[in-house]
Amino acid sequence: MSSVPLSAYLVLALILFCIGLYGALTKRNIVVVLICIELMLNAVNINLVAFAKYGAHPGVAGQIFALFTIAVAAAEAAVGLAVLMALYRNRKTVHIDEIDSMKH
Amino acid sequence: MMEMAWIVPLFPLFSFFLLLLAGKKMKEASAYVGMLATFVSFLVASAVLADRVGGSTYKAEQVWLAIGSAKLTVGFEVTALNAWMLVIVSLVSFLVHMYAKGYMQGDERFSVFYAYLGLFTFAMLGLVISPNLLQTYMFWELVGLGSFLLIGFYFYKEEAKAAAKKAFIMTRVGDVGFFIGMILLFLQVGSFEYSDIFKAVQDGTLSQPMVTLTAILIFVGAVGKSGQFPLHTWLPDAMEGPTPVSALIHAATMVAAGVYLVAALFPLYEASETALLTVAVVGGFTAIFAASIALVQTDIKRVLAYSTVSQLGYMMLALGSGSDVAAIFHLTTHAFFKALLFLAAGSVIHAVGTQDIEKMGGLWRKMPLTAALFLVGALAISGVPLLSGFFSKDEIFAAAWMHGHGVLFWIAVVASFFTAFYMFRLFFLVFGGEERHGAKDVHESPAVMTLPMLVLAVLSVAAGYIHTPWFGTFLGDWLTDGGYAHEKTPSWMMIVAAIVSLLGIFLAWLMYGKRSLARDWLSSRAPLTYNVLLNKYYIDEFYAWTVGYVANAISRLFYYVDRFVIEGIASLITATVNAAASLGSRMQNGQVQTYGAVTFIGLALLVAILAFTGGYL
Amino acid sequence: MNGPYFLSLLVFSPLLGILLLAFTPKTQERTMKWLGFLSTLPSLILSLFAFFQYLRGYRLEHLAEKRDWIRFADFPFLTESTFVVRYELNIDGLSLVMIVLASLLAALAAIASIHIKKEWKGYFMLFLLLEIGMLGVFAAGNMVLFFIFLEVTLVAMFFLIGKWGGFARERAAYSYLLYNGVGSAILLIVIAVLFARAGTSNMELLKEMLHNPAARAQLIAPIPDGLRLSLFIALLIAFGIKLPIVPFHRWILRVHVQAPPAVVMLHAGVLLKIGAYGLIRFGIGLFPDQFRDFSFLIAILGIVNLLYGAFLAFIQDDFKMVLAYSSVSHMGIVLIGLGALNEAGMQGAIFQTVSHGFISALLFLLVGILYERTNTTELDRLGGLAKAMPLTAGSLLAGAMASLGLPGMSGFVSEFTAFFGLFQTAPIVAAIGTLGIIMTAVYLLRAVLNMTFGASKSGAAQALDMSVTEAVPVFVLLALIIMVGVYPRILAEPLQAAIKMMMNGLGA
Repeated sequence: MSSVPLSAYLVLALILFCIGLYGALTKRNIVVVLICIELMLNAVNINLVAFAKYGAHPGVAGQIFALFTIAVAAAEAAVGLAVLMALYRNRKTVHIDEIDSMKH
Repeated sequence: MMEMAWIVPLFPLFSFFLLLLAGKKMKEASAYVGMLATFVSFLVASAVLADRVGGSTYKAEQVWLAIGSAKLTVGFEVTALNAWMLVIVSLVSFLVHMYAKGYMQGDERFSVFYAYLGLFTFAMLGLVISPNLLQTYMFWELVGLGSFLLIGFYFYKEEAKAAAKKAFIMTRVGDVGFFIGMILLFLQVGSFEYSDIFKAVQDGTLSQPMVTLTAILIFVGAVGKSGQFPLHTWLPDAMEGPTPVSALIHAATMVAAGVYLVAALFPLYEASETALLTVAVVGGFTAIFAASIALVQTDIKRVLAYSTVSQLGYMMLALGSGSDVAAIFHLTTHAFFKALLFLAAGSVIHAVGTQDIEKMGGLWRKMPLTAALFLVGALAISGVPLLSGFFSKDEIFAAAWMHGHGVLFWIAVVASFFTAFYMFRLFFLVFGGEERHGAKDVHESPAVMTLPMLVLAVLSVAAGYIHTPWFGTFLGDWLTDGGYAHEKTPSWMMIVAAIVSLLGIFLAWLMYGKRSLARDWLSSRAPLTYNVLLNKYYIDEFYAWTVGYVANAISRLFYYVDRFVIEGIASLITATVNAAASLGSRMQNGQVQTYGAVTFIGLALLVAILAFTGGYL
Repeated sequence: MNGPYFLSLLVFSPLLGILLLAFTPKTQERTMKWLGFLSTLPSLILSLFAFFQYLRGYRLEHLAEKRDWIRFADFPFLTESTFVVRYELNIDGLSLVMIVLASLLAALAAIASIHIKKEWKGYFMLFLLLEIGMLGVFAAGNMVLFFIFLEVTLVAMFFLIGKWGGFARERAAYSYLLYNGVGSAILLIVIAVLFARAGTSNMELLKEMLHNPAARAQLIAPIPDGLRLSLFIALLIAFGIKLPIVPFHRWILRVHVQAPPAVVMLHAGVLLKIGAYGLIRFGIGLFPDQFRDFSFLIAILGIVNLLYGAFLAFIQDDFKMVLAYSSVSHMGIVLIGLGALNEAGMQGAIFQTVSHGFISALLFLLVGILYERTNTTELDRLGGLAKAMPLTAGSLLAGAMASLGLPGMSGFVSEFTAFFGLFQTAPIVAAIGTLGIIMTAVYLLRAVLNMTFGASKSGAAQALDMSVTEAVPVFVLLALIIMVGVYPRILAEPLQAAIKMMMNGLGA
C-alpha cells in the first residue's frame, strides 16, 4: 500500500489533461493535435484507474474501462493518422488551420 | 287615421326603391312616380292632421334592439307638432317634385334625381314622426345622406363634390354633439322616449347641470343641421345642388330639422336658463351675421342661402326666448316663402343659365309671372305687413322682447332691415333695370314649374293668418293644446317692424331701382368691411387654417410615427435577429480548434452553473 | 341535425372540394372555379340551417362532439380526463354567428375569386383549406384544437398571399407569417402552461377550474394570480397582433395591399375577427378578473386604435391603404366595446366584428372589381367613376356610408352600441373617442369621392360596370348590411345567451 493520496493522481491527471487540451486547441500541426488528444485520453485513464483503486466503491470496473479506452484510442489514432495521410496526399499540408473547407 | 301615420314616409321610400331599380327604363315617367308617392303622402298626412285636430296624441312602438335590460324602441308618434310637420314636409316635397319635372327636364340622371328626392322625403317624414331621440337621430343622419347625395348630384363638378363632402362632414360634427347628448340623456333617464325625458326633467331626476349639458350638446346637433354659426359654412356651398333641392332641403325642410329638434325637446330647454340663453344668443348672432353677408353676395342662390341661415337664426332666437310657437310659426311661413323664392330663382336660372345677379336684369318683362311670384316671396320674407312673414317675425320680436333680451331684440330688428334690403337688392337687380344677359332667348317657365310656385305664393300670403294677434292664435292654441297664453305685443313693436322693413326696401330701391344712390357706396367707402363681408368673414379660410391644418398635422405626425418609429422598431427586431444569425454563421469558420474551444467554454460554463446552483435551478 | 357528426361535417365539408380539385386537370379553369364555389356551399347551408334552428329555440349543446384523440401521459394516479386532448367541437351563440359569417364570406369570396388569373387548382385548394381553418377555429372546443385550426389558416394564408398577391407579395407573406407566428408562439406558450397546470385544454373545464373554488382542487399545479396576470397579458398580445392593436398593425397594411382582393375579403372579414373572438373567449372567459383590471387600458387602446387608424387613413394615397387603416380604426371600436365592460359594450364589440366583416368584405369585393378594370387603386389616378361605372360607384358609396356608421346600416348599430357601453363606464374617454366618428366620415368621403366623383380620369373613362356575377355578392352583402342595420335583433337574439354568460363571468 503506498501512501500517495488520491488527490495526487487526480492532480496529475488534471495537469496532463490541461496540457493535452492546450495542445489540441492551439497547435497547428495535426500530428501534434492527435498526440495531444492521446494525452487527454490518458489523463482520463489515470482518473479511471485511480478511482478504481481509491474511490468510494473500489472495483475492477474502472480498470476495465481504462483498457477499453486504450483500445479505442489506438483505433482512433489509426483512423486519425489514416485520414491525415489522405489529407496530406491531397493538400500537401498537415496544418490544421489551412483545412477549413467546412466553414459556412 | 292616426294609427296609419307610419305609412306616410313609406310611399316616398317605395318610390326610391322603384326608381333605383327601374328608373332607367321609366325615364321621364319617374317624375310621376315621385309626384304620386309624395301626393299620397300629403293626402294621408292631411288626414292625420285632421284626425289629430280633434283627437289626442297617438303613439305606437315596438322593440328594436335590447341591450341587456335596456330596450330600445322604434315606432311613431302623432303629436300636434309632428302632424303639423308631416303636412308641411309632404306638401313642400310634393310641390318641389312637381317643379323639378320642368327644371330637371332632359337631365341624364333624371330618375336618379327623383329616387334621391324620394329617399330624402322618406327620411324627413320619418324624422318628424319619431317618438324618441334615437330614432330621431337615425332619420336625422338619413336626411343628411339625402342632402349629401343631392348636393353632389352633379358629381362630375369639383365644386359639387367639395360641397357635398363639406355638408356631410360639417353636419356630422354637429351630429356628434347630438350623439353624445342623446346617450348622456339615456344614461340619466333610462330611456330615449321624449315623454320619459320630459317626465325626468319635471321630477328633477335630471340634475340641473346635466339638463344644461345635454341640452347644449343636442343643440350642437341642431346648429350643424340648421346651419347656425359656427357650423353654417356648408349651407351656402350646398347651393351646388340642383335648385329644387335647395328649395326643398336647404330652405324648407331639412335645415329646419334643427329648429324642429329643439322644439320637440322644448321642455328640456325650458328647464335650463343657460341652455335657452345659448340658443337665443347663437340664433340672434347668426341672424344678423348671415344677413350681413347676404348684403353683398352676387350669386342669387347664395344670397338666398345666407338668407336661410339668417331666418333659421330667427327661429333659434324665438326658441331661446322661450317661444316654441313663434319658432314653429316662422318655420312654417319660412318654408313656404323661402321655397317660393328658391323655386322662382330656379326658374330664373333655368331661363338665363347663370346664377350671377350682375349678369341678370330686366327680367320683369320677359318673365312676368316669375317676377310677380318672386316679389310676393320677397315681400313676405321682408316682413311687409299683412303677409305671412310679417306675423311670424313679429311673434319672434315679441318673444325676444318679452323674454328680456333687449339687445337680441334690437339685433333682430336690424337683421330684419338687412333682410328687406338684400331681398330687394336681389329683386331690383334681377328683374328691374335693363337687360344684361346677352342674346340668350329668355322666356317664362312652363306651367309645371309655375304652378307649384303659385301655390306657394298663395300660402306665403295666407299662412300668416293661422296665428295672428288680430284673428286668433290658432296655431299656438293647437300646438300647446289650448294652453297658449298670448302675450300682448306692444303695438309700437309692429309699427317698428313694419317701418324697418319698408325702410330696407326703400333703400334698396334708391340704390338699385332708382339708382339715385351709388351702388358702390359700401365698397368705396369701406373697402375693408366690404371685402370681409364678400369673403363671408373669412370663416372658411379660418377653418382651413386651423381645423384643416391641425388634422393634417396630426395625420402627418402619425404617418411618421407609423413609418419610422413603429416600422423602425419592427425592423430593429428583425435586424437584431439577422445580426445574431450572421454572427452565428461567421463563427462557422471551419477551424476545428475554434469549435473545440467554444465547446469547452460551454462545458465549463455549464459545470460552473451546476456547481454554483447545486444542481437545481 | 342531431347526428353527432353535424359540426365535423360543417367544418370539414370543404375537404370534399379539395379532393375533387386534386383530380381535376390543371387547365380546367371554369370547372375549378365552379368547384371552388360549390364546395363552400355545404358549410354555408349547414351553418344557416343551424342558425335558424337556433333562432327557433334549438339547444346548441346537442351539437357538441367529443372523441378521444391524444393521450399524453398514462399514470395511474391521474383521472381519465387528465393530460388528454380530445377532439372536441362545440358551439354557442357567439361561435355560431361567427361560423355563419365565415361560411357566408367564404362563399362570396369564392365568387369574387373569378379574378384569379393563374394556378386555380392550388388557389382553390388553399382557399378551401383556409375555410376549414376558419370554421374550425370557431367550432373548436379546446385550446389545442383552436390552435391547430389557427395554424391551418396561417399556412393557407401564407401561400395565398405569397403566390397570388401583388408585386410585393412575398414580403407581405413573410410579414404576415412573422407577426402571426410570433402571436401563435405566445398563444402556444399560454396553452402549454394552462395544459401543464390544469391537465386539460377544454375551455369549459378550464373556466370551471380557474374560477370555481370547488373545482380548483382538480388543478395539477396551482395557478397563482401573478401567473394569471402574465398569461392574460400574453393572450392580449397574441390576439392583439391578430386583431390588430396598434402598434402591432403594420403587417395588415401589407396584407391588405398585396393579397388578392378575394383573399382580403376573408382576411379582413373573418381572420381579423379571430383576434376579437379569442380575446372574448379566452381573455374574458378564462381571466375575467384580470380583464376587469385591464378594461380601462383596453378602452384606451381602443380609442388609440380608432383615432390612429382614422388619422392615418386620412392621408393615404391608395384606396387599399385607406381600407387597411380603416380596418385598424374599426377594430378600435371592438376594443372600445370590450373595454366598456358591460352588456352594451360587449354586444357592440360583437356587432362590430360581424358588421365590419360584411362591410370590409363588400369594400374589398369592390376593390377587386375596380382593380380588374383600372389596374390601379390609387386615389389620384381615379376619378369620376360614377359616370362610367354607376353601379360600382354607388355600391362603393353605400359601403363607405355603412362603414362610417350611417343609421339603417350595420355599422351604426355596432358603433352606437359600443359607444353606448363606454359612455356608461368612461364618459370622458368615450367623448374623446367620438372624434373618431367625425374622422371616419372625413377619410372615407375623401377617398370615395375622389374616386367616384369629379372629372373622369383616363384610367376609368371607358371601364365597364360590374357584371352580373360580380354584382351578386355585392348585393348580397349590401342586403345583409341593411338587414342588420334595420333589424338588429336578428343578431342580438342569438348572441344574448352567450353575452349573458360572459357578463356573469365578469361579475357584472
